[in-house]
Amino acid sequence: MKNCFAPLVSTVFPRQGFGGGRYAGHRAGAPGSRDMPKMVLWKWLLLLASLLPGLSLRAEVVVSTDEETGLRKWHLMEGGFEVELVQRLPDQTRGFFLARGFSGDVVGDIATSCIFQTIIRNRDGEGGGKAITVDLTQWRVHTGGKEQGIRLKEPWIASWPESSVGQASRLAFRWALFPTWQEFLPGDYNWGMTAFGVKPGSVFDLDLVWRTDGRAHRARINSIECPPDLERRR
Amino acid sequence: MIPMRLRATLFAVALLAGGAWAGDQTLTPVPGAVPAPDFELPDTDGRMHRLSAYRGKTVILNFWATWCPPCREEIPSMNRAWRQLRDAEVVILAVDVGEDEDTIFVFTADYPADFPLLLDRDGTVIGEWPVKGLPTTFVIAPDGTIAYRAIGGRAWDGPGILEVVRALRGQRQGAE
Repeated sequence: MKNCFAPLVSTVFPRQGFGGGRYAGHRAGAPGSRDMPKMVLWKWLLLLASLLPGLSLRAEVVVSTDEETGLRKWHLMEGGFEVELVQRLPDQTRGFFLARGFSGDVVGDIATSCIFQTIIRNRDGEGGGKAITVDLTQWRVHTGGKEQGIRLKEPWIASWPESSVGQASRLAFRWALFPTWQEFLPGDYNWGMTAFGVKPGSVFDLDLVWRTDGRAHRARINSIECPPDLERRR
Repeated sequence: MIPMRLRATLFAVALLAGGAWAGDQTLTPVPGAVPAPDFELPDTDGRMHRLSAYRGKTVILNFWATWCPPCREEIPSMNRAWRQLRDAEVVILAVDVGEDEDTIFVFTADYPADFPLLLDRDGTVIGEWPVKGLPTTFVIAPDGTIAYRAIGGRAWDGPGILEVVRALRGQRQGAE
C-alpha cells in the first residue's frame, strides 16, 4: 500500500536527496567522504529491515500528510504490532452518522470527540507468529496535564435513550467504531473509528498497550493533532 | 554515492516489502471442527437462503457493509473469484450488516456482485458469529464446519486463496 511506504522514506530522508546535506558537519559520513555511501546504505538496510514482517526494531512513529485530503496520520510499528491513526474531520463524521439516521445533537457529540480512523495489524511472521491482543480500555490520552481513557463504544451506546437513537443507527455505530478488545492472529488487521475524547484542534499524547503471550508492550505517540471543527468556525 | 542501479534495486525491494501491508493474502485455519452457526436470511431479491442448505458445497461467507472501505475494496475480487469457483461447488454469500435493499442497490451500480447479497438488517446473524470487525470472512467446508477465517479484506481471486478454497473440498470430504 503506497501510504505505508512513502511516509517512512520521507522520514528517513526528510526533504533531501539520497545522501544529501543531512550529514553536513559530521566528520564520519560527511558528503564526499568515504563513509558516506556506507551510512546511506545502512539507512536503507535499516529501512528495509523495518518493513520485513517478523523483525523487531525500535518503535518508530512516522507522521505524514495525505497529499489529496491534507489529513495527517501517525504510524507506529514495533515487532509485529502496527497501528495507524488517520485524522477524520468532524464534518466527515457528521456526514457519516447523519446518513445513518442519527439526530443532530448526538452526531455533534460524536463528531467533536476527536475521532480518528484506526488501523491495527499483526505483522508477525505468518504461521509461527504470535497472537496480539489489544484492549482499548488500557490506552491513555494525555492532554493539558490530564490523563484519561479513550471513549469506548459500549458505554456510549448505553448512554443513548432508546427513543433518541434507533436500532439501525446503533448497529452502524457499533460496527463503525473499533472493537474495545480484539485478538489479532498473524496477518489479521482491523480498522474502525476511535474517539479520543478531547476537543477539536487540541493536541494529545497517546500511550498504547498491546499484549503477546500475556506480556504487555507499551509505546507512546506524542503530539497527535485532533483536526479542527470547521463547522464551528463558520 | 550509491550507484544508481543499487538505489533502484533497494527501492524496488522496499516497495515489495511495503506491499506486504496489503499483500498478506492468507486465510487463517480454524482449528477443530467448529460447526458453522446456521441462519436464514433474504437476499436483495427477497429470496431466502439457509446456510445449512448449502451443505456439500464450500461456502465463502462474508460479513460486510457498503460504508466499509476494505469491504468495498474486496468485493470486485470476490466477484472475480466467484466466476472462477462457481463451477467447483463453491458458493459465496455476502451478508450486509444493518442496511436495506435500496442502499445495496445503489452500491451495486458501482460494485457489481453476481453472488447473493444477504440482508442482516438487525444484526442478529452477525451477533451469532465470532466477528469483531468488517469485513470478516469465513470459509465453510462442505461438511458444515468452519475451515478458515479472514479478518480484514483480501484479494479473493489471488491464486493462493483460490487454491486453498478448491483444495478444501477434497480435504474435508476425505475426512468425512
